[in-house]
Amino acid sequence: MTQYEAIIGLETHIQLNTVSKIFCSCKADSWFDPPNTNICPVCTGLPGILPVLNRAAVEKAIRLAGAMGAEAIQATSYFARKNYFYPDLPKGYQISQYDEPLARGGYMDVPLSESDVRRVTITKLHLEEDAGKTVRSGQQRKIDFNRCGVPLVEMVTGPDLRSADEAAQYLIRLRQLLRWLDISEADMEKGQLRCDANVSIRAIGETGLNPKTEIKNVNSIENVRDAIEAEVQRQIREVEGGGIVEAWTLDWDEETATLRKMRSKETEADYRYFREPDLLPLAVDESWRDRLVEGLPELPLARRTRIAQEYGIPLYDAEILTEERSLADYFEGTVEIYAGEAKTVSNWLMNDVLRIMREKGLRAGQLKIKPDHLAEIIQLVDKKRINTTTAKDLLERVQKTGQAPGVLVEQEGLAQVSDSAELESLIKVVMEENPDQVATYRGGKTTVIGWFVGQVMRKSGGKANPQIVQELLEQSLRE
Amino acid sequence: MTDSLPDLPAREQSRLFRSGEVSALEIVEATLARIEALEGRSPTSAPYEQTPADLEKLHAYITVTAERARAQAQSLDQHRAQGGELGPLAGATLAVKDIFCVKDTPSTAGSRILETFISPYTATPVARLEAAGVIVLGKANMDEFAFGSSSESSAFLPPPGNPWKPTHVPGGSSGGSTAAVAAGEAALSIGTDTAGSIRQPAAFCGVVGMKPTYGRVSRYGLIAFASSLDCPGPIARDVEDTALMLQAMAGEDRRDATTAALAVPSLTAELDAGVEGLRVGLSPDYFKLKYPDPETGELHEQAITPEIEEAVRSAAQVLEQQGAIIVEDVPMPTTHYGIPAYFVISRVEAASNLHRYDGVKYGHRSAHSVDDLRLLYRKTRGEGFGPQPKLRILMGMYVSAEQYEQGYYQRALRVRTLIRRDFEKAFDPEGEYRLDALLSATTPTTAFKIGQVYGDSVLMQYADLLTVSANHAGIPAISVPAGFDNTGMPIGIQFMGPDFREAQLLRIAHAFEHGTMDASWRNIKPGVLDLEG
Amino acid sequence: MAKGKDQKDSITPEIFNHLVQLAAFELTQEESEYLRAELNAQLSAIGELEAIEIDDSVPITSHGVPYPAAITPELREDVILDCPEADDIVAGSPSNEDRYIIVPDIPHEELE
Repeated sequence: MTQYEAIIGLETHIQLNTVSKIFCSCKADSWFDPPNTNICPVCTGLPGILPVLNRAAVEKAIRLAGAMGAEAIQATSYFARKNYFYPDLPKGYQISQYDEPLARGGYMDVPLSESDVRRVTITKLHLEEDAGKTVRSGQQRKIDFNRCGVPLVEMVTGPDLRSADEAAQYLIRLRQLLRWLDISEADMEKGQLRCDANVSIRAIGETGLNPKTEIKNVNSIENVRDAIEAEVQRQIREVEGGGIVEAWTLDWDEETATLRKMRSKETEADYRYFREPDLLPLAVDESWRDRLVEGLPELPLARRTRIAQEYGIPLYDAEILTEERSLADYFEGTVEIYAGEAKTVSNWLMNDVLRIMREKGLRAGQLKIKPDHLAEIIQLVDKKRINTTTAKDLLERVQKTGQAPGVLVEQEGLAQVSDSAELESLIKVVMEENPDQVATYRGGKTTVIGWFVGQVMRKSGGKANPQIVQELLEQSLRE
Repeated sequence: MTDSLPDLPAREQSRLFRSGEVSALEIVEATLARIEALEGRSPTSAPYEQTPADLEKLHAYITVTAERARAQAQSLDQHRAQGGELGPLAGATLAVKDIFCVKDTPSTAGSRILETFISPYTATPVARLEAAGVIVLGKANMDEFAFGSSSESSAFLPPPGNPWKPTHVPGGSSGGSTAAVAAGEAALSIGTDTAGSIRQPAAFCGVVGMKPTYGRVSRYGLIAFASSLDCPGPIARDVEDTALMLQAMAGEDRRDATTAALAVPSLTAELDAGVEGLRVGLSPDYFKLKYPDPETGELHEQAITPEIEEAVRSAAQVLEQQGAIIVEDVPMPTTHYGIPAYFVISRVEAASNLHRYDGVKYGHRSAHSVDDLRLLYRKTRGEGFGPQPKLRILMGMYVSAEQYEQGYYQRALRVRTLIRRDFEKAFDPEGEYRLDALLSATTPTTAFKIGQVYGDSVLMQYADLLTVSANHAGIPAISVPAGFDNTGMPIGIQFMGPDFREAQLLRIAHAFEHGTMDASWRNIKPGVLDLEG
Repeated sequence: MAKGKDQKDSITPEIFNHLVQLAAFELTQEESEYLRAELNAQLSAIGELEAIEIDDSVPITSHGVPYPAAITPELREDVILDCPEADDIVAGSPSNEDRYIIVPDIPHEELE
């Protein structure tokens, strides 16, 4: 039986997180705003208006191109007009780069496992403006122009991905990079990262490319994976059944999890591209480009590798700690102040701090618990000034108040109780209150000591040093 | 005195206002009275049947914004009473070509498709003039979307007439503007020039019209025709007013990314500096023109009207007498490529610029109830556009559609480079000719009769033969009155100069004006003013 | 422009109809005939372009005036300015409801 492999290329549209739109000064983010509020004559295509390019949009695109290792960030690139009629396109043309894009070439290495990497090549990267939104309402369309003119980068990959999972991995890594570089919020559900997939199959061993289909309108990484998987299986069935794959455009219906055919490639509109006369060529001189590219931070995969090696922590830890840049900064900052085992810091971060971040919906950089706070808490535990339970509680208190852990320990009297006399009096009370349990222990079931430790801890308000409690209990119960 | 207020130059209107001799409101009322006397019935988009009376009146305005003008005048009068600062044009009157958006006024571009569009914003050059205290009287008639050279293609008819003889066209596309200025219906007008649309009607109407360097004046708010060629520019009755008006409009605008980041020098400081030692060129390629035979389409070489050639040569003499060096036989061999290249470039850009008129956001929407948006587009655009926009859009589609384009557009843009090189050679300070200006006729003929050429889109276009090259090259050019032909219609000559050297062009034009001030033709007044009397 | 009926028109009725579709026009028969005739006449004027000797080394000119860096305006800074015209824009549209601009639907394009 023939074995097939999938050949997948992705065309991504990335909304840049500039504060204003690409060609006018309207607010770019309208997620929480009523329709047609962040609009002006320019982005609604009134007669007589002209576009003026936003510098920050260009800079974010240059930084992305630099991060993708673009072979050429062009000294001169051009905008063109893509002409077509659609109600979400108020000028009747989209201003988009076309034949001379901002950047060509580049790649991203997507780790598939600890040892395996897929190199995904980038063919081109260009700037363009987003269109508005239309909503069906009975026999009508309702149009909202708020999104018109939000800056987009279109980035196209080569046909380098070999499975639906790889496509999903690429998107996960791209999303991580976009957030890492503060280029885009990259939330697919909000349309900040959008993806069309070109899918074909071929028998393993073949080298040519077969006709492909294009999947559009997929709005989550899970759906991209599901849609591509469904399409690969459909193409295999088609070919196995003696049919051929036609160059269809397919629409992913999320509700039914099925693909629907849209229109055939051949009837695609003639966009009559020509250079946008209202904008001068986009000049990116060497010094501007170098300043932006050289100013890029260490990228996530490189940092993951370095962190694992430099701190001697598992790659698994390093992966989690580099999910977002402020977390990696947080980790390294804490390790430096703490000056102890990096793995200890990693454990605290991955178990406790990450939990707080998820609960509160915060990034590491937004926490009130700062790296010096965390380092101090771990040091307090190491010095047995507080026990682990108290430490976890202390994390929450620091997050709530922003006060230094040492101060809170003093103020709230959280220091660990290791004084034998004080603990022995608590033990005495617990034993007196629970004669049956004492009998059980003395009857040979010594495992109930754990229960006794718990009771004493409770009576101490969680502050008792559990090791000392256990030692003292063992003595008292044996007597 | 009030009766003569409309005929005063803008700076004189302003001087009287600033000195307190007349109020701004008096200037406005006097000019509104002139408008009332000369305009005739108001142009509308209703089906048009010409009446004999229509050929006696001007129809220069699509919309007269009398109340807005009065309000502006009153606020100026108040400002003056309070001792506020007032510029050299404050209190002067302005007709705005209806291709500019002016806040809260209908801004139609002469098209039914924008008949109901009330602009929520004001175009930058108009806003700058208003900020300088110039009073907007209304919106001047024009060829639909500036597509024409006679103003007859406006959707709002009757079409404007030529003040010298209202049976004749005022030229176009800024024909309403030049007619208004010539007849004292405004002291100034702001027009646009894409292939000659300021200079040609200025020549036809015996007024001064200037196309500044591309990038000198903001296009923000100018309803686009061909974006890489469109230039807003001043129209006035003499060179000094032209200079003052351009001064108020020009300069970088953060809303137009193609405006040059270049300071505008004083345009009036050197007006009287004369032409001693300046080099003014004449080119045989501007006296003999190639254009297609209207019957066979074959190319003919034909001399421009002899009286017009004579006017150019005598203008050269006038300048020579003042010390200018006249350089003969400057080769401008690409001149006749101007129109065919223009046919391609302007159509591609126009088709795209007119994509937005689809009945969705503003302006005309077909009243036919349809349940498919695509049908609404077709009906709206079918009803809203007149034949000229339709023709230009279709040609734009043809020369840019993948199946047919055959590299037309790229080729036209290369030809544009060749046209530009002719000028660079002529103006090169190290070169053979070292011109400060090139002098030519503005138009091959004087104004023709209404209805004479209209409908023949090719012939109409060749009215721009002598002007379009400056648009391709981006250079500044000014048309000034230079007498009349034997039928009493005005003749215009133009000076073309190097990039951003408007001050020098104005200086040369002013020297010519000065040198002909005593000529008998200077005393001839537009015929329409006699009719009024 | 008069042209013999036997002369071959570059823009045939088929091509013309395609252009009309691209342009989104509904035209009367009379309009169509006039427009097609004028288009063919204009094409003969454009034909002059093809006769021009020009080599590919000639660069294209996009605006006539060159824009050296010294006179090229700065890009726009990324700051938000209020959009005072937003309400007027919505109110000025031919049909609107709850701040949305309303148009007829585009029937589904899916083939299957």
